[in-house]
Amino acid sequence: MNRSLVILLGLLLLGAGVFAGSYVATRHVCAMKPASPADDLSWLRDEFHLGDADMARVRELHNGYLPKCAEMCAQIAAKKREVADALAAGTNVTASAQAKLKELGDLRARCQAQMLEHFVAVSRAMPPEQGKRYLAEMQRVTLGLHEEVERSMPEMGTMHGRD
Amino acid sequence: MAARFDPMNQDKKLSELLRGSRVSPSLPPRFQENVWRRIEDAEAPGAASDGVSLLDALVAMFLRPRFAYATVAALMLLGMLLGAYQSTRSAQHEAEARYIAAVAPNSLR
Repeated sequence: MNRSLVILLGLLLLGAGVFAGSYVATRHVCAMKPASPADDLSWLRDEFHLGDADMARVRELHNGYLPKCAEMCAQIAAKKREVADALAAGTNVTASAQAKLKELGDLRARCQAQMLEHFVAVSRAMPPEQGKRYLAEMQRVTLGLHEEVERSMPEMGTMHGRD
Repeated sequence: MAARFDPMNQDKKLSELLRGSRVSPSLPPRFQENVWRRIEDAEAPGAASDGVSLLDALVAMFLRPRFAYATVAALMLLGMLLGAYQSTRSAQHEAEARYIAAVAPNSLR
């Protein structure tokens, strides 16, 4: 093989190594950097460019919402256990199990409504444009998954039909 | 009386004899044209214009210290910038996931 070609290939490899090494080292250093104190709201401040006053309002709403959310979660978890017990009792979906499932659904709906109300309240605590963006993003993240599941249902139906 | 030895005369005869015996080979066809073409090719700058000389020039350029240092510095800078950018993006995604996990538990999503 031509000597110059060998040297050129070696230089290219060396260059790729230098580039990859710098990239990996920088990522490593950034990962080692002590992460900002585990503040759940740090993302809001950075993403929606919130000032201290906005952050104070958002933090108050957030701290007020968390206990309600935790309480709802505990109720849902308890209801899920009841549903599991009702279903484990027999091989049929009994009237009691159906009632528990309905209660679970109601609880989830209430919890979701409460969550959306919180998002609306937080969006109002932000500058209007940022608030609109925040609300759209939260609805996309929290409700978008349901839409995806629902969209996939006809496909699933077709698959079931094939079975 | 024996003939006198005449070195001048002998030399002349020898020279004629040698000249007559010399074989002058015929030149190949288009000899002169080919010679000029080769001379022109050799004199034209970077004329070798084939891949090999270009490769040589490229290697010579890369091996020049100033160019080599600059290239290494540029590659390092690019690598660091890309690494920092990717790390920032990852950190943003983690922070977003942390917030969403706090306000929207998995059981609701």
